Amino acid sequence: MLRKLCSSLELKLYCRSATTVYSHAPTSTQFYRNPNCFQHNQAVIRGFQTSPQRHDLMEFFDVKKNWGETTIRSGRSWKLDELRIKSNSDLHKLWFILLKEKNMLLTMEEECKRETELFPSPERLDKVEESMENLETVVRERNRAFNLLETGETGEQPGTEEENFLGLQEYRQYNEHTVPKQENKPFLIAKRDEPKSSLKEKLWFITRFRRKQLFKRRQELRCHQYEVVQLLQKFPDLDVGALKEKYPDVNVDKYIERFWKEQAQGNLKSNK
Amino acid sequence: MSSRLYPIFQKGNPQMRVFLPNFWMKMVRPQIDNAPKNKVQFVVHPGMSQFDVKSYLEKIYEVPVVHVRTYIQEGRYRRVPQKGYIVKDDDYKVAFVTLPKDTTFEFPNIFPEEKAQEVENEEKHMDILKENFKKHQQRNRLRPDVPGWFL
Repeated sequence: MLRKLCSSLELKLYCRSATTVYSHAPTSTQFYRNPNCFQHNQAVIRGFQTSPQRHDLMEFFDVKKNWGETTIRSGRSWKLDELRIKSNSDLHKLWFILLKEKNMLLTMEEECKRETELFPSPERLDKVEESMENLETVVRERNRAFNLLETGETGEQPGTEEENFLGLQEYRQYNEHTVPKQENKPFLIAKRDEPKSSLKEKLWFITRFRRKQLFKRRQELRCHQYEVVQLLQKFPDLDVGALKEKYPDVNVDKYIERFWKEQAQGNLKSNK
Repeated sequence: MSSRLYPIFQKGNPQMRVFLPNFWMKMVRPQIDNAPKNKVQFVVHPGMSQFDVKSYLEKIYEVPVVHVRTYIQEGRYRRVPQKGYIVKDDDYKVAFVTLPKDTTFEFPNIFPEEKAQEVENEEKHMDILKENFKKHQQRNRLRPDVPGWFL
């Protein structure tokens, strides 16, 4: 059991070390677990490793051995759960590592485009961006919790839903201004010039808009029903739960019942 | 950093701090052939000012910067091939960064010739294999039931 756990940990850490903790990254703090640590009946021994610092403009380029390669192997992006257990300072360091990596990849991509060559492993850019997104959500979560405890407010940018000239609800975020509304000339001009419509006109639009949405929804439902029937004919023993999960708007039981009825009657299509 | 907006006024007027900057910069090859050796060209996030570029390079990359000049390059208007309508590419901001007098930076060639040669050789090898396979298929086209090892 322990060995299993250990091997899985190693695998995970191998994957991670290949993604974001780069050898050329400055002040990178990578935690690795000693594979032999379980021999000493200790839960975790953490080794601390720092990579050599390299402050230079050459950080905008990939490591020299990767130049001209067709594929560059990398691990996966950082997950939310992994980032949640990190301290604030670690996240701060990781952010800058990711930022530098992103800059490097953008530079390499641009140069490849200029040379009309293929950019090797473009998924790296997506991975870095996903990690950055995840990191920011974790920071936001922490800020929310802190603000709720301290002030009772989330600290997010406030906003409201307002009805626009088409009669549709639109979310608008509040922004800070140095002058009040009545003295803000550009705002007043923009408000004066924005399109206006009467209630009758709004109703005219809204009825048509909703009808269109209804037709679209019906068409989608019909497509889903057709897909369910096709799947049942192709794979009669498929997992019903998964099917229901995939098509929540379709009455799957009805179609299953109908399908088996047809089978019992000797449906022409399936007995061919 | 809950929101990306920085408040206009804070009590006590504290110094501006950015903890998680989302600015990006990418280095590009200088357009001019005989550009000064201590000058570097970047394409930067459109929201960045000259001061931002300078502090970004000095704080994050620890590269001394003497002078920064930026301008916004208008995106190209071009016709979409085979469709005919005109589209406009996005505008982007270009930054020229001057390093100290004694430092030099040369934009490296990231496509070394040895690697290119290797790839070419591999392609040649693949071509030969393909040709051989084609010959094999051609030879056995009239006897599809006979296994491949039977000559």
